[in-house]
Amino acid sequence: MTPKFLLGRLIDLAFVMFGVSILVFLMIRLIPGDAVMIMLGANTEITPDRVAELEHRLGLDLPMPVQYAHWIGGALRGDFGTSIWTGRPVTEEIASAIGPTFELTFLAVLVGAGLSIPIGAFMAQARGRGAEVAVRVGAIAGLTIPSFWLGIVSILFVSKLMPGVSMLGYVPFSEDPLGNLQRMVLPVFALCLPMLANLSRLVRSAMLDALGQDYIRTAKAKGAGRRRVVYRHALRNALIPFVTSVGVSVGYLLGGAIVVEQVFAIPGLGRLVLGAISERNYPLVQATILTVTFAFVLVNFIVDLLYATIDPRVTR
Amino acid sequence: MTKHRFAALLASTFLASAATAATLDIAVDTAPAGLDPHLITAFNSVLIVQGNIYQGLTDIDPGLAVQPGLATSWDISEDGLTYTFHLASGVTFHDGSTFDAEDAAASLRRVQSPETASPLASRISPVVGIEVVDPLTLKLTLDAPFAPLLSSLAGIAMVPAEMETDKEALQMAPDGTGPFKFADWTPNGYIALEAFDGYRDGKPQIDEVKFHFVPEAATRQIGLVSGEYDMLPAVDPATALQLQGQPGVTLEQTRDLAYTLIGMNVTDPALADPKVREAVNLLLNRDEIIAGALFGAGVPAGPLSPALTEWALPTSDFSCYTPDVDKAKALIAESGVALPIKLRMVVLPRQDAKDIAQIAQQQLAAGGIEVELINQEIGDFVQSWKNSDFGMFVSANGGNPDPDQYFYRTFYTGGSTNVFKYSDARVDDLLDTGRNKTDMAERKAAYDELQVKLACEGPIAHIAYANLTTAVGPKLHGFVIHPMGRLSSLKDAVLDD
Repeated sequence: MTPKFLLGRLIDLAFVMFGVSILVFLMIRLIPGDAVMIMLGANTEITPDRVAELEHRLGLDLPMPVQYAHWIGGALRGDFGTSIWTGRPVTEEIASAIGPTFELTFLAVLVGAGLSIPIGAFMAQARGRGAEVAVRVGAIAGLTIPSFWLGIVSILFVSKLMPGVSMLGYVPFSEDPLGNLQRMVLPVFALCLPMLANLSRLVRSAMLDALGQDYIRTAKAKGAGRRRVVYRHALRNALIPFVTSVGVSVGYLLGGAIVVEQVFAIPGLGRLVLGAISERNYPLVQATILTVTFAFVLVNFIVDLLYATIDPRVTR
Repeated sequence: MTKHRFAALLASTFLASAATAATLDIAVDTAPAGLDPHLITAFNSVLIVQGNIYQGLTDIDPGLAVQPGLATSWDISEDGLTYTFHLASGVTFHDGSTFDAEDAAASLRRVQSPETASPLASRISPVVGIEVVDPLTLKLTLDAPFAPLLSSLAGIAMVPAEMETDKEALQMAPDGTGPFKFADWTPNGYIALEAFDGYRDGKPQIDEVKFHFVPEAATRQIGLVSGEYDMLPAVDPATALQLQGQPGVTLEQTRDLAYTLIGMNVTDPALADPKVREAVNLLLNRDEIIAGALFGAGVPAGPLSPALTEWALPTSDFSCYTPDVDKAKALIAESGVALPIKLRMVVLPRQDAKDIAQIAQQQLAAGGIEVELINQEIGDFVQSWKNSDFGMFVSANGGNPDPDQYFYRTFYTGGSTNVFKYSDARVDDLLDTGRNKTDMAERKAAYDELQVKLACEGPIAHIAYANLTTAVGPKLHGFVIHPMGRLSSLKDAVLDD
């Protein structure tokens, strides 16, 4: 891996972040309804003076390019402003919400990607047998069932089966590890199923491809065991599309997390940004979306690096 | 009651060591943006704060009558211009400091100050003099008699005097005199309150009250049935229907003070004519709307909620509440407005409002009024409402225990929430009478005339008072539902293990 390759990727990353910052800044301001009106609400004493005072306090009376310059200038120095509603620094609000979302996404990737390899490998080897058909049907179902529906149905099911088991809300791992994991089971399941289904199908076809190659026949001929042929020779070559897919899936997971957090009442980034959008909490929306974008871009940066490790030809 | 309390006390003494703290888990849909009692307007913020953390000088009981609060009694001068309040002694704030007349005076000044910009300011606008007579006596002077004062004071929380000029602190860290004190807040997670040792009527039985923020209605519903939550404070009609008869779930119901309405912009050339507004009322079939949009859980609304038993006239007194398409058409013909009348109707993003809008659209079409429904997101809707950018709108309003609190700002010429641009000299006269006379009979006569006039030709077609439904799990006992949605009865409630 050359430094030039690394530097090129980093510059790409900076461009993406800059573009997203402009997009986010404009989008939240272009939708109708503004923060001041929503803050003053429908049932309060609205006078032009109060509106002007609030706008001034929030810096919303300045021209848009000036507002953007203020914001991006602060952001580059690590100051993302304060939440319009609570007055707390935006970074603090994000820090308190990032934990649950990170845990949820991390566990979903772990379970989804982890299980998809053995399942995909099994489907490739047992092609056409009854059990494989069943798994394949399951995979298609997993791809098509929306996670909010799956989430609600699974809550309903578990609450009937095991009444009294707490599965809603969130407890930090550091406070109650068991309670934390117990509450994570259903959301992780609902979140990772589409990813698991997608990746298993991908692993299956990549493996089928790889298993038909000459070098597999050679490996078999030289007397390598079945396990060794599948996992050592075929899998490594099937891994490249797999890694790409995992990287892209992280984006979907972050999107899916919004829905799943909503259903399971988890106080994560998804809830934070949804609330912020409906309140027109500009600084909070901007910073949260930048954070999520950064995470997504970072994951794909790491995926790029992984390619280079798996297949050195990529860097050339 | 005493016996019951004693038994509970005995039980709690024995079980105290074994049982963990009794926590009441309440699920609500949205998290509050802040908790400053003088700034908040959102239903859920008020629900958490009012009566639990904070109290006012007076209190409103579930029958909507004014009761003593932090003031144990009061004297009103003959001319109705001076109110002398005698405050309860030995009341402490959650921070340990003592509540006295200085705090009360500072709290009222805080609400009145333009710096605070409190939405409650208009509730006590006639108060021009606030005087501390002695530590337990507070004297208020008014510039004109103002009958709703006592009921208005119930909604104004007493805060420590040093908060008078502090606009930030109470948003995140409330400090009141109520039975529960603020303990913990996880953004988007929950707000926890704990029983206050120093509460003047004794520490509540429930150790902790947690308000969980659960945005998804289905999740709240399942959570209540599975025992994860003990209470859902305001349940929509569809969910109430599904919760009916579930094991362990009790539905407490009362007539809601809040109501759904169709607002009409009087600057619209067609709606400017009172005859057309009366025709709109004649075209609307409220029973049909209630059956279709509220699953039958509600009653047709006049301008005042039947929960205000002393004031509200029965809807049978309003001639235009009997649907009559022919009469409506005749009225429109008389007015000279050409058919079809085309109007934009903006709709509050709430299921009941959307359903009402669709039914009303059909009913109005029968009389040649064609409305175009515009579903808006909440920020957008508030903007349209505030800028009077609508022909009609469908919305919901919170109610008030005194007619003046709703009528004056809504129907007075130039009133602060008169987005309809309605102006009628007779209405203004009657509103002044209702506000300035303290004689009950005179007020009643004014509000009776107002209700009849506003019901048919006012800028609002009042649609329905729904049932306010609170779903309670099997563990909670002694909860009493309040028409204003207050949870103040929790201080006397008991929770099973």
